[in-house]
Amino acid sequence: MNISAPPPAIAIDAVTKRFGDLTAVKNVSLTIHQGEVVALLGPNGAGKTTLLDMVLGFSEPNRGAIRVFDRAPKRAASEGDIGAVLQDGGLLDDLTVGETIKMIAACHHRHLPIHEVMQRADVTGFATRKVKKCSGGQKQRLRFALALLTNPHLLILDEPTAGLDATARKDFWATMHAEAKRGRTIVFATHYLREADDYADRVVLMRQGQVIADGSVDDMTADLQRTLTAQWISDVDPVAWAVSVGVSRDQITYDHQLQRLQITTPDTDRIAGHLLSAGLIRQLTIVQPGVEEAFFTMTQDSQEVTP
Amino acid sequence: MTTATTTPRKSQAEILLRFVGWEFWRNFRMLDATFFVLVLPAAMYLMFGVAMDQGEMPAGLGNVSAYVMTSMAVYGAVIATTAMSGSAAVERSMGWGRQLNMTGLADAYYILGKMLMALLMAVSPVLIVYLVGAFTGAQFDSFFHWISSAALCVAVGIPFSLYGLAFALLFRSETAVSAASGFLVIFGFFGNLFIPLGGVMLDIARFTPLYGPAMLARWPQTEGILIPMQAGAEVQFESMWVLLANIGGWTAIFAMMCVLGARRRTTR
Repeated sequence: MNISAPPPAIAIDAVTKRFGDLTAVKNVSLTIHQGEVVALLGPNGAGKTTLLDMVLGFSEPNRGAIRVFDRAPKRAASEGDIGAVLQDGGLLDDLTVGETIKMIAACHHRHLPIHEVMQRADVTGFATRKVKKCSGGQKQRLRFALALLTNPHLLILDEPTAGLDATARKDFWATMHAEAKRGRTIVFATHYLREADDYADRVVLMRQGQVIADGSVDDMTADLQRTLTAQWISDVDPVAWAVSVGVSRDQITYDHQLQRLQITTPDTDRIAGHLLSAGLIRQLTIVQPGVEEAFFTMTQDSQEVTP
Repeated sequence: MTTATTTPRKSQAEILLRFVGWEFWRNFRMLDATFFVLVLPAAMYLMFGVAMDQGEMPAGLGNVSAYVMTSMAVYGAVIATTAMSGSAAVERSMGWGRQLNMTGLADAYYILGKMLMALLMAVSPVLIVYLVGAFTGAQFDSFFHWISSAALCVAVGIPFSLYGLAFALLFRSETAVSAASGFLVIFGFFGNLFIPLGGVMLDIARFTPLYGPAMLARWPQTEGILIPMQAGAEVQFESMWVLLANIGGWTAIFAMMCVLGARRRTTR
């Protein structure tokens, strides 16, 4: 079977999706390889859910094509190649947790033994509880159990921890981590940068229906402004010196009384190197903006970004 | 990737059967709904059709018990189709449809399964009421009348799946569907289902949604006779086209409500 290279888990080719006048996804191309753990990051309305809905076969693109394991998404979904944890809802209140799993299992062509799925998703403890009486975290575990039923190669999670408290969120990711280790391809949508940073190998950043960045969180924050602060101990004029190494004047502030120099630039490492080797300063600090701030900056319209 | 062992592959037909099995169990277990659909019509038949003294009096091509029996079977059938279609639509809007979309149950089979369920649920109360009737003195002049009346009870229940669907689409909640079932009691009263109406009440009744279905289901027995309130009163006849116009008109209204509800949902 493995004569040729394995097909990508998801191949999205120039996909556009419109709802009336609104273009929710604009000409997105994206390839996700088997075994990758990818976060789809972006604010509400960025097009994450629309894109995932098409990957799951719930809707069709207006233009472009999507293949999942080189199959049509609908077919991949009905054959159990994809497991999905859907955003809230998707459960029947009148069933118990165990019955929900059994009923969905009954509708699959093939599935893992029920007890094994229950164990893996950690729902055994409340299997006889009615869905109506479950907490948000328990419902999310149940949805996860349903996603695991067919032992899918690809797991898709749409904002899996929305509305969960910190403990439930941590537990959920611990379980997910174990699944990633089994070699599953995992794609999750989130608007928490922290989650993307902590759990994904690769982050795809979306804004207004387009992919605006694709890589690791470190890559994405590399170009962001950092602030270098130090006490100036030399007789050389600090501003003139900074300009001489290529820093523009508006990136520099110097407090004469405190002898404190501040430079804000993406390129703080190089400047710090110069400063230290020349022995011009002491008490050097470099502050990187918080990841949340970085994300905020990236998802703003360019004209709104403060200089 | 671990190669875990899965169950043997099921065919589409097996999936459909299992799905209907689960649906039946779910609906059967929802006691309040089951009570209204399966127990209440039979109980009302016993109250109005047997416990009252006139049960054995002749009425058209059968007796009064048979007349009441058919009325209650109609009531059970319309409640069943209303509840089934309504809850199916609510389930879908709550995202259960998406969950099922991720399984081997294809869309067409889902709809087929739900239709089978609605039919099963509409047939059940008719079967129960007719069975109880057969053992408690309900009589038709021929065996054919049992069959044709029972079949008509199920048939007139079908347009009410649009009625349940309309409520579900317009209000998107399980409570709205229960309310729709609740209104059927009022329609049943005005539809000449529970007690024989006369005068102005009967004039109003002709315009209510259960009048046509009830009269049509009783047609094999009554052939259009309106059973009067008091024995010995003047007998009135209803023409078939009034009944068909009533059913057609209300079916159109329910369908329009569905379209309105569906449109409201997409514009949000």
